[in-house]
Amino acid sequence: MKLLQTLALFLMLLPLPASAAVKVVATLPSLAAIAREVGGADATVESMLPANIDPHFADAKPSLVVTLSRADLLVENGLELEVGWLPALVQQSRNAKLAPGANGRFDASTVVRRLEVPRGAVDRAQGDVHPGGNPHFLYDPRAGAAIARALATRLAAIDPAHAAGYQSRAAAMATELESFARAQTAAFGALPAANRAVVTYHRSLIYLCDWLGLTSPISVEPRPGVAPNPAHVAKVLAQLKVLPKRVILQEEFYPTSTTSTLARLGSATLISIEGGTRFDKGRRYIDHLRAISAPILAALSR
Amino acid sequence: MKTSLLLLVATSLLPAGAFAESGDEPVPPTLEEAAALDAALAAEAPAPAPAEASSGVKLDQAFILDVAAAAFDGERAEGGGHDPAGNGFTLQGLEWAVGSNIDPFFRIDANIVFTLEGLEVEESYATTTALPLGLQARAGQFLSRFGRANPTHPHAWSFADTPIAVTKMLGEDGSRGLGAELSWLAPTPWYLLASMSLQTPGDGCCNRAFATVDGPINDASDLYATGRLEQFFELSPDLGLNWGLSAQTGNAAPADAATASAGTTTIVGSDLYLRFKPADSTLRRATALTAEFMHRSRALPGRTLEDDAAYAQFVQVLSPAWEAGARYEWASGNESDPLDPDWTSDRTRASLQATYYPSHFSRLRLQLLADQLPWQKDTTLGGLIALEVIAGAHGAHSY
Repeated sequence: MKLLQTLALFLMLLPLPASAAVKVVATLPSLAAIAREVGGADATVESMLPANIDPHFADAKPSLVVTLSRADLLVENGLELEVGWLPALVQQSRNAKLAPGANGRFDASTVVRRLEVPRGAVDRAQGDVHPGGNPHFLYDPRAGAAIARALATRLAAIDPAHAAGYQSRAAAMATELESFARAQTAAFGALPAANRAVVTYHRSLIYLCDWLGLTSPISVEPRPGVAPNPAHVAKVLAQLKVLPKRVILQEEFYPTSTTSTLARLGSATLISIEGGTRFDKGRRYIDHLRAISAPILAALSR
Repeated sequence: MKTSLLLLVATSLLPAGAFAESGDEPVPPTLEEAAALDAALAAEAPAPAPAEASSGVKLDQAFILDVAAAAFDGERAEGGGHDPAGNGFTLQGLEWAVGSNIDPFFRIDANIVFTLEGLEVEESYATTTALPLGLQARAGQFLSRFGRANPTHPHAWSFADTPIAVTKMLGEDGSRGLGAELSWLAPTPWYLLASMSLQTPGDGCCNRAFATVDGPINDASDLYATGRLEQFFELSPDLGLNWGLSAQTGNAAPADAATASAGTTTIVGSDLYLRFKPADSTLRRATALTAEFMHRSRALPGRTLEDDAAYAQFVQVLSPAWEAGARYEWASGNESDPLDPDWTSDRTRASLQATYYPSHFSRLRLQLLADQLPWQKDTTLGGLIALEVIAGAHGAHSY
């Protein structure tokens, strides 16, 4: 009897299925924020990574195996952004729902317009090039809108009883994102074309530049994933000095000693880009995009 | 009381859907209906369509080349199969790592190692992907899940050579063999993995403390068994602790070629891995502390030999391009041990490494070591330079 009581107590301590809500696990906080808005009360959403970590280089923590083992739907960025840590975690999770191609696996990159898709074979001498295209599309609200719509369709397939809710929340979110995207494109478009050139750190901001009509004539990294070297940085400084508005854009998780020196020597403004939505603080995906575009517009309008 | 407890246990085990609002929920089939449906499905189950050889099928593969140059001022005693073999250059290995999902039920992983002497199937196994209840099975040739260092390949090592604990207690290539394994991810709030495997000891390279079997085994006792319990505790978002307990048992290697195996070899071990990686470090700084201990007991004719080995290592990632580390190792010895006749007392080795990563796909490692061998009066000093380059998919790193 005592044993039975102990067993019952132990089982009570295990995470019980609190509700029938679909359990969504997203690799990145911006994807989690989109899923939370689309899922509403019909889904619980967890983000595997915090916002301020470079998604290329996350730790494959065993605690994430546990998170994945309980998921009904895994939302990933795709295009090999998470290749260094996600595949092994999914395999260890023993969760057949999350197998590639299964209903429980949603690859966001399959529903967005891709940029920098390499033509011909990929050669690593070019740096850490992603063979399917540049994976950093979450900085573009138009991609976010496409993801929200497609995610609603997937959630509806998993949980048909709440399909209408998913679809209506996704439609509202996508409309809001698209209208925000258009407004920002117009605001940036009103700037003189020459002012819309910026220096970026990694080739991760091309979707942002594409959305806002910015050009990035040079990156601080000589090749994607290769640390800056003195000769290249000298070239970046020379390029920076000829820009009418000297602005350097860099995601928060990259080292700043080179870029802050460049900003000082080139009398430029260094803008730190939020790496992802502050999902843990309850922020929305659109808040994250506003936090990115507003300081850039301010710097270029000065 | 008893009934309510049973009810509680039963409801705890019910799947999430059982708690759904009923309303228009479909009614599950009765047992009879389910059986009839199963029978109908089985009768018309189509043979799976043969997979066409298509370039579109995803096969993750990589070539990993490890070469090293070494210089020692005394006796070279690196014991690992991939370790720099004495003064001069060594091809530590050219590893072909390949993996793919087979179908919704299995995946395959293989590590084929090319050396100057030939080719070695280091690992080649199938893993289930769709077993229920947190279970996973694998079968084939695989590194036994014993301790932290043994199941890793050179690519994942923090030093250019194998820990003495692995080479002395397990084998020059550690512990691996043909067999099958069942592991279970417990439904606990934290990570708890239990695994159990049965494998053939094989020959030469591995499992030196177990009696080897050439060809078919006589009975199940010719196999060796490995069990492991592994847990992970997320102490904070930046700090994680992984703790493992492992045990192996099988027939003891005979004292010499003429005698039969006398009894049992048992190896037990515990390993700790503490990793601190602050999320806000733009230089991706990380500090990792690893400690592993093994105790081995072998029943030989008329006596039982006991020995121990341990290491502790500290690795500091300074930036995406640089890391440095230190390791201290110790292994005890026995008088007239047939496996290591000269190893009669303690051996200690201290190593320092500095590693430069030009990119995520290449690394250059400098390692210095001081080795106090039981059979040598003077300490052997050594220096290694090891280069690793990776072509192809960069496999996911485990924690």
